[in-house]
Amino acid sequence: MSWEDDWRRVRAIAKKDLTTELRAKAGFNGVASLAVTILILLGLALGPDADALRNAAVGAVWLATLFSGVLAFNRSFQVELESGALEPLLLYPGPRWTIFAGKLLANLIFVSLMVAIVTVAGIVLFGIAIPPRWPTILLVIALGVAGLVVLGTFYASMASRSRAREVLLPLLLFPMLVPVLLAATTASKALLGADLMHEAGAWTRLLIGYDLVFLIATFIAFEHVIED
Amino acid sequence: MDELNLRFIIAAYSVSWLVILGYLMRLKRKGSQARADYDQISKETAGDGPR
Amino acid sequence: MPQTELSRESRAAAPPRTSAFFGFIAFAALIAAQVFSILTSPAEADMGHLQKIMYVHVPAAWMAFISFFVVLVFSVRYLWKKRENDDLLAASAAEVGATFTGLTLMLGMIWGRPAWGVWWVWDARLTSTLVLFLIFVGYLALRAFVDDAEQRARWSAAVGAIGAINVPIVYMSVKWWRTLHQPQSSPSTLDPAYTMGLRLNAIALLLVTIYFIRKRYEIARLERAVEHLAEAAAMGGK
Repeated sequence: MSWEDDWRRVRAIAKKDLTTELRAKAGFNGVASLAVTILILLGLALGPDADALRNAAVGAVWLATLFSGVLAFNRSFQVELESGALEPLLLYPGPRWTIFAGKLLANLIFVSLMVAIVTVAGIVLFGIAIPPRWPTILLVIALGVAGLVVLGTFYASMASRSRAREVLLPLLLFPMLVPVLLAATTASKALLGADLMHEAGAWTRLLIGYDLVFLIATFIAFEHVIED
Repeated sequence: MDELNLRFIIAAYSVSWLVILGYLMRLKRKGSQARADYDQISKETAGDGPR
Repeated sequence: MPQTELSRESRAAAPPRTSAFFGFIAFAALIAAQVFSILTSPAEADMGHLQKIMYVHVPAAWMAFISFFVVLVFSVRYLWKKRENDDLLAASAAEVGATFTGLTLMLGMIWGRPAWGVWWVWDARLTSTLVLFLIFVGYLALRAFVDDAEQRARWSAAVGAIGAINVPIVYMSVKWWRTLHQPQSSPSTLDPAYTMGLRLNAIALLLVTIYFIRKRYEIARLERAVEHLAEAAAMGGK
């Protein structure tokens, strides 16, 4: 099959996932609301001192993202599970990696939208002053989201089909995301300040390396995981 | 000062042997259980033979 | 792609017994190494004999890494050759590795309490080892929650391989996290006076690890053989 056919398949799967999620009542709105709620709870738990909140802001935004993210990832496979549509999807001609790519794309868009909302909420609730280097912070966030989505989608393809999926996905995913969490939060904190140690560059490179390594690794591994 | 540290050294080695021997016990127990199950079921299915 | 087709007989064949004599040698070596090191290592100026904990703590950490490496190798091998025994060996190494990682953490804390005054610090090595422990736990949890043997094998192999890839990345990122801000006095560059004892303990503990993995593997194969025989009996229409 040609690249065009593959790419069309990827887009079709992504589109199907996104429309299902965005249309479903409890879909995007639910997950985004949860993320903001977590952020608010963190503000209540860590505040009300403005300085403490400002220091905790970056961490709080990322934690809210991680905890809501797992919901999004499990749901991305749930639709097929409930309607039993996974088998037909597998039988349909075409390479398996397109399924993974399609779901990745859908999750990427979904989570990016959610992160945008959470970040804005974080800026407001935690009193962050937008620094001059904010485009770089945006890049760091994007790279972090990419890493989160790649591994989240991969682990969800298994966890969602096992027993105790609510526990298994975070248990598998969160330890793996430690480098992303450390890199994204440390770099963002540095960039919010003056980045005196010029460490943002090193962390950004780590994120790029991490994203590439796991993008390739999960694509290879997905073939083995998805067959039934 | 040395007294205190002695307690921690003893604690460390005790914990180590507890864990190592504990795991060994677990393996021994599981091992004999598994062997027993295997022997029993081979005996039971011995009559079946290749078809 | 089904698992490599082995005859029902060979899959149900009993695995060889792990030599109890080897186990005995391993444990004897461990005791000997510990006794030797405890008796011959000098006391330190400030911490007294506290460094003696390192004789177990450091080798335990090394065994955790070695086990993880075994998990990686046999996970990849399973994905390549689809041989059930490779999956069982990887799982055995994971269980042993998790045990040693847990031990490393406990000893790190027991050492840390008198050395740093607190039970826990977010020290680079201790934190990384904690994450490693969680990765092991995730692997074992996955196996516990998947019932179909073939799916369990495939998924564990994928998770094991990908988890193993992350181990050096985790260590690197946690190290940067700790050192870019405050250059930290690392607590354990060991004095050459301790090297001999450390090496002896490491070799002895390696023997114990090998014994553990082999014994666990034997158990895994037995359990799997029982399942195969049970399936065969059920299908035989009895």
